[in-house]
Amino acid sequence: MKLKRFLLRYYPPGIILEYETNAELKQKTIDLLDLTVETDVEVLLNRIVRQEPLITESKRPHVRKLLYKLIEKQDCQESQQFYLFKILRAHILPLTNCAFNKNGDKFITGSYDRTCKVWNTLTGEELLTLEGHKNVVYAIAFNNPYGDKVITGSFDKTCKVWNSETGELYHTLRGHATEIVCLSFNPQGSIISTGSMDNTAKLWDTETGVELCTLIGHTAEIVSLSFNQTGDKLITGSFDHTTKLWDVRSGRCIHTFQGHRGEISSCQFDWEGGKCITGSIDRTCKLWDVKSGQCINTLRGHSDEILDVSFNATGSRLVTASADGTARVYNTMTGACVSILVGHEGEISKVCFNPQGTKIITASSDKTCHIWSSDTGECLQILEGHIDEIFSCAFNYEGDTIITGSKDNTCRIWKC
Amino acid sequence: MGLLTLLRKLKKSEKEFRILVLGLDNAGKTTALKKLADEDITHTMPTQGFNIKSVIHEGFKLNVWDIGGQKTIRPYWRNYFDQTDALVFVIDCSDHRRMDETGVELNQLLDEEKLAGVPLLIFANKQDLMNAMGPDEVTEVLGLTNIRDRAWHIQPCSAKTGEGLQGGMEWLVKNINKS
Repeated sequence: MKLKRFLLRYYPPGIILEYETNAELKQKTIDLLDLTVETDVEVLLNRIVRQEPLITESKRPHVRKLLYKLIEKQDCQESQQFYLFKILRAHILPLTNCAFNKNGDKFITGSYDRTCKVWNTLTGEELLTLEGHKNVVYAIAFNNPYGDKVITGSFDKTCKVWNSETGELYHTLRGHATEIVCLSFNPQGSIISTGSMDNTAKLWDTETGVELCTLIGHTAEIVSLSFNQTGDKLITGSFDHTTKLWDVRSGRCIHTFQGHRGEISSCQFDWEGGKCITGSIDRTCKLWDVKSGQCINTLRGHSDEILDVSFNATGSRLVTASADGTARVYNTMTGACVSILVGHEGEISKVCFNPQGTKIITASSDKTCHIWSSDTGECLQILEGHIDEIFSCAFNYEGDTIITGSKDNTCRIWKC
Repeated sequence: MGLLTLLRKLKKSEKEFRILVLGLDNAGKTTALKKLADEDITHTMPTQGFNIKSVIHEGFKLNVWDIGGQKTIRPYWRNYFDQTDALVFVIDCSDHRRMDETGVELNQLLDEEKLAGVPLLIFANKQDLMNAMGPDEVTEVLGLTNIRDRAWHIQPCSAKTGEGLQGGMEWLVKNINKS
């Protein structure tokens, strides 16, 4: 085995080792999920050298440099203020969702005007209009980390696969009986999953556009889905009050997470894939053990429906957004509430962490987005300007740009 | 409201109805909707997208979708056709000049497959204005008596004062229940 080179993964922090064995190039990852600005680099370095045979004494200075670089990337100044960079008015009807590619130089917006648009983040220029759907474009995604493809899920029951550079339509995925409202690529980009109001989810081959299987079992609409990082498992959250865990390869249901007393609004895997969270109309968020299918913890505190839930990049914390106008940050391990984000004057429909995990953004029906410190719960900034409620928001991978999509037909870019 | 609410309004329970409100721009759709929901109507702006309000009427929950009527966004009306229980078409009866345009749009809606057989309530709005055409005149100009494939009713009203709105809704609920 011979170490060829190091690759850095900033969020969540990790060092990827590219090495040669039997004339074959392979990779392995050292996850450093606990890395913070307070980490003692020498102690960590000792541990890595001790545990990882590929990293010999001579590599010590190099790895030390990499660790300092990673730590620098975890630091995010709270004092950074965002300013309105551009208002994009190209959609003629309300926006639905928005999403960045990993690089952050492009993002996409879906709309009631049946199109998805691809935008240049740096200039605010409209690069492409993906036209062809016969109804609302509701769910959209890039095949991150590659970013060369976009998928769009529509109320017209189809999902379309596009070239994000040229706008060329590769495939139209037909088979769902009603609206497609959630979708995702697996992290490898080879499989697409779609969830529909027809109570089923489907898996498709990205390259050929062929349906691989239909995940049957839910008795009501599927509104949220998430792959784990290795891409071999999928969870689907449904209005039937349950979330199901599926084996991607066989299409078999492994577990049904039961316990919520209301519709599921959102579900997500953590980075390591051992846990997942579900938010529900029943005002609680539940944390589940993927292996056993058991509920580990029920997070209470909201006085109204939970509309969105999200892990931070490492999975150490999670945040819940509610119709009660507040969001709550919890420690995943202990279930303790770290902070309560109070300040919105309307329900919060979307929430996410920045990649560093230091900040949280919330999108609300009060027409504003708030940026919060995830540690203290302090409101750091209010993004004002939209003239109707905000449906979606996202951070780029660097955490220095935010996009917001609104019912007012505009998308806004905010920069540091 | 949020996107999730939009999804929850796509499905519906037994005692819920989905009402679609259409008509030319400035017909008074949003004002009528606000008035029905007992909201302030003084600052009503042209609708660029849509508004949804839930109105309880005689124990039934009416999810009313008010869709913008400007010419550029009329082609998108069909986004909202699925699962419609009743169509409300609002007409500005003082706008004589655009009565032809009104007729064209209404006839197109009546030809829509997804709206086949759906009960039609026509609000002959702006009766508070001096020059407003009365319901009989509108019926004649638009040839409404030719509609034979569904229940329909024309209701004179003023969205501004609220007069006639309740009467229209009563007809609507009665006729949804029949179908």
